[in-house]
Amino acid sequence: MKILLVDDEQKFINMLAKRLALRGIEAHVAYTGEDALKKAGDTVYDVAVLDIKMPGISGVQLKKELSPLHPNMQFIFVTGHGGIEKSEDGSSEKDIYLSKPLDIEFLIETIEDLTHTG
Amino acid sequence: MNDALNYVNTEGLKFFGKVNASISHELKNILAIISETAGFLNDLTELAKQGKELKLSLLENCSTSIVEEIQRGFTTIKQMNRFSHSVDVPVTDIDLVETLDLMAGLSGFLSSAANVSIENKCTESKTIRTCPFLLQNFIYQILCFVYESTGPTGEIRIHLLEEKEKGVLLTLFSSAQMSVEKFPDEKMKKTAGILGIEFKTNHSFYEINLLIPYAVETITQLDPNG
Repeated sequence: MKILLVDDEQKFINMLAKRLALRGIEAHVAYTGEDALKKAGDTVYDVAVLDIKMPGISGVQLKKELSPLHPNMQFIFVTGHGGIEKSEDGSSEKDIYLSKPLDIEFLIETIEDLTHTG
Repeated sequence: MNDALNYVNTEGLKFFGKVNASISHELKNILAIISETAGFLNDLTELAKQGKELKLSLLENCSTSIVEEIQRGFTTIKQMNRFSHSVDVPVTDIDLVETLDLMAGLSGFLSSAANVSIENKCTESKTIRTCPFLLQNFIYQILCFVYESTGPTGEIRIHLLEEKEKGVLLTLFSSAQMSVEKFPDEKMKKTAGILGIEFKTNHSFYEINLLIPYAVETITQLDPNG
């Protein structure tokens, strides 16, 4: 299973990737939406974990661009904000939102649920 | 007078909420890094218990990261504290450079924020008698307007130059072309009107010029103590 972590908080996703690796999950990191699109062009990921608020391409916009390229890719949104205004950001009700700080075991459970690997 | 006061109150609440939301976002990011780093240290501890070799460099990196994030948190809380105290008095003497520095820091939490640098060319420190909270609101509006053009990779340079008897001339240089046809909008005009700030007509696609007066009647009227 391959995971793409996208967040401009570099230390956060680098550490998260290390912790996922210790649990046997291969996670690649991208610090911008542009970098994520490039990586997704070279590699097929099962799940993308996207920060909603990023400089440049937002997480919601990134999903819109990644979905047609990889119809089977699953998405999890991560936010540092308290609330999400779904109607404004254009994301669907089915999207999964996790709030920072993350509980890694819950994140893995969510990934397993999405990929039916649990 | 009442109109000005109502405006300060209603727009002020929106501004206060927006800034506080961005501060909480920043603090959550800091806590998220500390949380992941602490979690990683726990992971390493568990591995060490199982007999795996523990690399000291990993521990050093973790402790350095935690210290850096705590420092980032202290800086954020200090900014939050300065911002919160700006509503203590309706009108007071302020240091313009300090206010610009605070607004550059607080607006820097926005995902669209560019890099902001401030260059003070005034010969001596000049205080401005103003409504500190409303001036912060105005500077934040202006910075957000410029960020729309620069994006997060752009740069804004702010110059301060003394204009004798009148006030301080503030010039914002943008690294990207701005939509000057949208500038200033109605909200900026209204805020500037209360603060007595003059939009100089020589603004261009890359430059905004503002004259901040040392004091104006409209502002001193906001002070119930005269």
